[in-house]
Amino acid sequence: MPRFKLMQKSINFGPLILLYYLSISEIDTYFENYFEILSFNIQLIIIYFWCLKRPEVFGNGHIFFAGLINDAVMGIPLGVSSISYLVTSLVATYVKNMTVNTSITTDWFTFFIAIFSSNSIFLILITNFSDIILSFTEISYNTFFTLIFFPFFWFIFNFYNSAINTGKNV
Amino acid sequence: MSASRDDFGIAFRSALLQRGAAQKFSLFSLIILACVIFFLDVYGFTFMKPVRAVINDGIYKVSLVVSSPSRFVPKATESVTSLFNIKRENEQLKRELEIYKQKELNVEFLSNQNKNLKKILESEESFLKKESMILSKVLIDKTSPYLKSIIINRGSKSGVLKGMPVLDKEYLVGRVVETNYLSSRVLLLNDLNSRIPVTFGEEGVQAILKGVGGNRPLLEYLPEDFIVEEGIDVFTSGKDGIFLPGSPIGKTMINGEVKLFSESSQLSFVKVDISNQEKENF
Repeated sequence: MPRFKLMQKSINFGPLILLYYLSISEIDTYFENYFEILSFNIQLIIIYFWCLKRPEVFGNGHIFFAGLINDAVMGIPLGVSSISYLVTSLVATYVKNMTVNTSITTDWFTFFIAIFSSNSIFLILITNFSDIILSFTEISYNTFFTLIFFPFFWFIFNFYNSAINTGKNV
Repeated sequence: MSASRDDFGIAFRSALLQRGAAQKFSLFSLIILACVIFFLDVYGFTFMKPVRAVINDGIYKVSLVVSSPSRFVPKATESVTSLFNIKRENEQLKRELEIYKQKELNVEFLSNQNKNLKKILESEESFLKKESMILSKVLIDKTSPYLKSIIINRGSKSGVLKGMPVLDKEYLVGRVVETNYLSSRVLLLNDLNSRIPVTFGEEGVQAILKGVGGNRPLLEYLPEDFIVEEGIDVFTSGKDGIFLPGSPIGKTMINGEVKLFSESSQLSFVKVDISNQEKENF
């Protein structure tokens, strides 16, 4: 029984562990060797999905820290990814407060608003306040492919969501 | 209409300020905190530099450990594949060995002569370069769609300063843009932010090699109406006083791009030229 509880706890922490792992590890979602323009941001999909479906899975503080870690690893000014992630979380929380029943199409549409706001703020902060030069085209491709891959991860996370019991009685 | 506006306001305020059972901090306070950290970092307050260096060192070490499984899996797959190829390769090698045996006498003489000449060359090269070059391991080479950089395991402790050139074998791969105590970040030649003065061709044409984000950087500021020929070696010109002149970089291509000698995604060990210790070149 305690073993089962430990396993269940690990499953509940799954999305949070994945978010931190993707932020700190060398694993990237930039597939230039296969298709030069293919890159997408899984972190944004994870944050949006779980803030929308099960906000109890990870708190805002974890999103903030994952952003800081990502900034340090990527070598961009500290705080940019945190702001970008928190904006995604803000849109997801707002959508959650305003809607009762959601489907993949509504989630997909609202995710577009979230990712557009998030990447716009990211681009504005980097281009206006730092010396780093970013390619607008690369960010546009990244936004596009993140949006395209959203339904794929939506189904995976939805399946995983049924295995989580955090917040089920909240 | 006004009821709809009220709904929007309530939902937005709730999203910003709400703190549920799992939320210890409100989104609003964290966004403000992130903005403060961002501006402190961007405007380079003196106390932020050591703080950032400590954070970077810590995170790079953890990242190295966390990434080790993802490095191990491709290596293990490679080993298994090579095991299957060994038998075939062995048979092929046996056949080749028979051919080489026939030429053995001749080759032995030439190879001995070659070895002796190489030894003389190496001893001179190492005498000249040992003191100004430090070998460092690539800790992290996380590919980003926006930035092309690597993290190496040498920092200010080893005498690495901002702006120092970084080489793979004898080929220039980039320069140091950030130094921590135990690690440094190297901006690669194909990054959008990279600009290197170069020279090429018999006439010694001067140009700037600009990173474009893709695999092949581009030659800019060429003489008017200049047509780039394919296959010419490109070297650093040393005009900036940072890079030593004559470091090979790559070969020109017909459209003005440069095919780099060193593949940036395959770097494991690099050398940092620490000969210029006077100041940070940046």
